Amino acid sequence: MASKVLIVGDGDAGTIMANKLRFHTDIKDVEITVVGNSKEHYFKPDGVHISFSMIDYKRSVKPTEFLFNYGVNYVRDEVTRIDVADKTVSTKSGRNLDYDYLIIATGDRFTPEDIPGYETDAKHFYDLPHALELQKEIKSFKGGKIVIGQASIPIMCPPAPYEFTFLLEEYLNFHGLKDKTEIHYIYPLNRVFTIPNVSDFVAKRMEERGIITHTLFNVESVDPKNKKIQSLEGESINYDLLVLIPPHRGQKVITDSGLADDSGYIDVDKYKLNYKDYDNVFAIGDATNLPVSKAGATAHFQSMYLSNRIASETSGNIYNELYEGDVACTTVTGYEKGVTLYFNYNKPPKAKFDSKLDYFLKWQSADTFFSSMVRGVA
Amino acid sequence: MDVKPDRVIDARGSYCPGPLMELIKAYKQAKVGEIISVYSTDAGTKKDAPAWISKSGQELVGVFDRNGYYEIVMKKVK
Ligand SMILES: Cc1cc2nc3c(=O)[nH]c(=O)nc-3n(C[C@H](O)[C@H](O)[C@H](O)COP(=O)(O)OP(=O)(O)OC[C@H]3O[C@@H](n4cnc5c(N)ncnc54)[C@H](O)[C@@H]3O)c2cc1C
Repeated sequence: MASKVLIVGDGDAGTIMANKLRFHTDIKDVEITVVGNSKEHYFKPDGVHISFSMIDYKRSVKPTEFLFNYGVNYVRDEVTRIDVADKTVSTKSGRNLDYDYLIIATGDRFTPEDIPGYETDAKHFYDLPHALELQKEIKSFKGGKIVIGQASIPIMCPPAPYEFTFLLEEYLNFHGLKDKTEIHYIYPLNRVFTIPNVSDFVAKRMEERGIITHTLFNVESVDPKNKKIQSLEGESINYDLLVLIPPHRGQKVITDSGLADDSGYIDVDKYKLNYKDYDNVFAIGDATNLPVSKAGATAHFQSMYLSNRIASETSGNIYNELYEGDVACTTVTGYEKGVTLYFNYNKPPKAKFDSKLDYFLKWQSADTFFSSMVRGVA
Repeated sequence: MDVKPDRVIDARGSYCPGPLMELIKAYKQAKVGEIISVYSTDAGTKKDAPAWISKSGQELVGVFDRNGYYEIVMKKVK
């Protein structure tokens, strides 16, 4: 009888995982089902460019169903409970799905309600509707004080706030608004990025471009009436435009199923990606609380590891490789400038110089993503 | 150290900025006057946590080298 692999979540991690595993296994031996509740797959990295009308958002979206390779069963439904003791997954429409292997890839959830005042005034570019709304704000911006940053840690794609800031500075310059604008960048730690050497690189560039930085700024509240943002550390900054990445947590279903830490993320083995002592339950992508960036590139490397492992195991072989925390992420550092960060658990990334080539890697990454990466080819 | 912490956060094995974020989370839940202690194996916490404690106007009770980890102790004063 074929082994049943059930993947919960139809975003980057779930889709890449399903398609890669399909390439590595025979349909007769392994049945692959993905259950997810999205209609469209949005390529989130494009949000940075969409905000500045630098690309047409239509190229960043594809129908979810269309992205699964032949031989992957796709069920559009919302998962309401995961019972790892009973090996079943229940859905909103009343399905009960069983499995031999379970892979949880439910990603992140935004929790703007964690910051009083957030929803009234803060803008962001972390999903498509908000990126399009911010695009309008930016188009009509005539100068003033912009505060940009993240409300808390962790967030998806930790470099995205600095990517946005650098493009914003270029945009203002290009439109003759730089002299009429102050850009304030806030960050929760005592530097401008989590990883010290990347932080040094970014901080220097921010200083050169006249971006004012406020470190150790953990957002406590937003006061829309007085247009003021307040930190837990007692600092407050006025703004005309506030671009604030909302707080993130794991999905509610993970917490409701008793699988989560207190932020909603799943604790998995750092090297094997399995949940507790279950050797058939895994989590990948943003849903985990692993000490790696929440990035599509992370999901990609984890899918490579896990699809090889499950393919080996289902054909009776032992798989002794480990996932070493690999990530390779290209980030924007200005107009036509980018830097690719390579790292794993043992080696932090190095950022020494940026290049036009890296920028173009990023610029056309939606094409690479939809034509090869998400398909499990690359 | 002779003060007994009201809350102990064991963030050993977690990497930067995990331990600091755990400390901030505990701070938000604590009452004024409580002593919070965080254990960390990440060397960065030794610098980052005292920087946060000082910026937020709390009291740093001490930074201690334990056997294979650090303990940072603070008092919530406001
Ligand atoms: C602005 C921005 C820029 C970024 N830039 C980069 C970049 O340059 N490089 C990079 O590598 N990464 C980048 N990322 C991060 C990357 O997009 C995410 O890390 C990636 O999408 C994570 O994939 P995932 O599958 O874990 O989660 P997601 O892609 O979010 O997928 C989760 C899926 O699970 C589904 N789901 C959730 N709950 C349920 C449920 N209960 N039932 C059924 N289905 C459910 C959701 O509908 C969704 O389809 C960026 C992100 C943003 C926001």
